[in-house]
Amino acid sequence: MSKQQPVLFNIGWNACINCGACVAICPQEAGFVSPFDTIAVDRPCDIACLLCEQICPVDTITHVPAPAPATQNGAGVR
Amino acid sequence: MPQPEYDVVIIGAGPAGSTTARFTAAAGLRTLLVDKRQELGAPIQCSGAISRHALEDVGIVPDDEFIHEAIYGFAIYDQTGERHVHDYRSLKPDEYGSGPGRKPLGYVVDRRRFDRYLLTQAERAGADTWLKTEGRGYTPTDDGGCTVHLRRYNQDIDVRARLLVGADGLQSQVGKWAGLQTHIKITELAGCLQFIVDRVETEGLLEIVTGHEWAPGGYAWVFPKGHGYAEIGLGVIATMTDKPARWHLDKFMTQSFFRERFADCRILEVQGGGVPLAAPLRTQYADNLILVGDAARHVNPITGGGLHTAVAGGKIAAGFITGHLEDGMPLRDGALRAYQDVWLDALGDKMWKLYGIKTDIFHNMNIRERDEQLYATMADYFSPTSEFKKI
Ligand SMILES: Cc1cc2nc3c(=O)[nH]c(=O)nc-3n(C[C@H](O)[C@H](O)[C@H](O)COP(=O)(O)OP(=O)(O)OC[C@H]3O[C@@H](n4cnc5c(N)ncnc54)[C@H](O)[C@@H]3O)c2cc1C
Ligand code: SF4
Repeated sequence: MSKQQPVLFNIGWNACINCGACVAICPQEAGFVSPFDTIAVDRPCDIACLLCEQICPVDTITHVPAPAPATQNGAGVR
Repeated sequence: MPQPEYDVVIIGAGPAGSTTARFTAAAGLRTLLVDKRQELGAPIQCSGAISRHALEDVGIVPDDEFIHEAIYGFAIYDQTGERHVHDYRSLKPDEYGSGPGRKPLGYVVDRRRFDRYLLTQAERAGADTWLKTEGRGYTPTDDGGCTVHLRRYNQDIDVRARLLVGADGLQSQVGKWAGLQTHIKITELAGCLQFIVDRVETEGLLEIVTGHEWAPGGYAWVFPKGHGYAEIGLGVIATMTDKPARWHLDKFMTQSFFRERFADCRILEVQGGGVPLAAPLRTQYADNLILVGDAARHVNPITGGGLHTAVAGGKIAAGFITGHLEDGMPLRDGALRAYQDVWLDALGDKMWKLYGIKTDIFHNMNIRERDEQLYATMADYFSPTSEFKKI
């Protein structure tokens, strides 16, 4: 859908109150979650709508551009 | 080992799931209720206000085990502190009050104890209840039933069921498994933050503060929490502010007309969550699947309250399931649409109407007019003559 660059989310766990609002707003398919009831932080998000960052009541979600995905022989795709 | 077999598997033991399970088990259906948590209701993502009739309508006896404090009415404020009070102790003194023969209007419940209590009732009615059990997916099978994929203490378990109920709350994944359109718009999900505090006086009323100044897109609240504690919280719509809920709550506590009242308060707990001020899902069923509670967005779009609608919806769902399974009706290809129709008739149509009212207010871009409309609507909503009293 969007032409955004994939991103990798980072959650400042110190401020996170495990409220789940980020998961509730997330348009990803089922399973884009962490074991702590937040959005996933271990794999890139290719939608990158950043709605989770907007909804978070304690403003504790940030992101970096996702590293280029590894191909089968391990080389990054450019 | 043969796969365990159930008539109904319910994912999520919140108020919606446990109420559904209690009624299906009581009707003699083999019922499995699972929840991924170790302690239900925790971390708390709810203020816990529910009316007495909402409990009584579904056979929940108000019990000290889960009640923080009794409630006798409402106080609705505009942004300046002007207020409308509907105190049922003075409106209907023969009926409401703390004296003998009088009753409360509602309660503030402790969600940890409330959810556990409801699970206990389901279990005593005959349901199997598994905690630390996450629903991971389901597959409809050729015999017309389905296989539900669970993970319990790191072990994958497949369970056979005729019907699956998604009662997995606002973060619902079950609807997504079936490809249902469950997405909430950012303009319709309030980001909420609340503090349980000491040293703030309350008067047996649910206090609701309107006004863009304090809670853009939502409202702020002060609820009695029992033992002399109070709860202060608010919800905001992200597109109407560039600040997080936390910033607004801090501003509300330090700059609003309540700043003196809150000046000495001490924070004892921090909680939050998302509240959908949205319409119910347009499709709440799929092959072998129905959704109930927050998972189906059975939430009041004006107040954000979802406890009453969760337990009422659970009873409706269970009634439908019991009849449908007893009659051996099909479970595929839209055969479960009847559930949604029953629900719309009992609750949903009114919620759609409330959604219309709410949408009209927030479509008004003039902040002063919008504030006035929200204040008037809220004040009217909680009045004894409101047509929506039972929602
Ligand atoms: C800040 C805040 C304040 C609120 N205040 C009020 C109020 O005062 N009054 C009111 O009426 N409503 C209030 N609400 C709304 C109310 O909390 C919800 O509407 C209500 O909890 C919905 O109940 P439910 O049973 O549908 O879902 P939930 O209570 O969310 O229960 C869902 C359950 O499913 C479990 N689950 C989820 N996924 C899985 C899975 N994959 N496998 C197994 N288990 C799973 C969860 O662990 C959870 O126990 C508030 C909400 C918020 C955020
Ligand atoms: S919205 Fe923010 S506080 Fe809530 S669970 Fe997600 S990261 Fe944590």
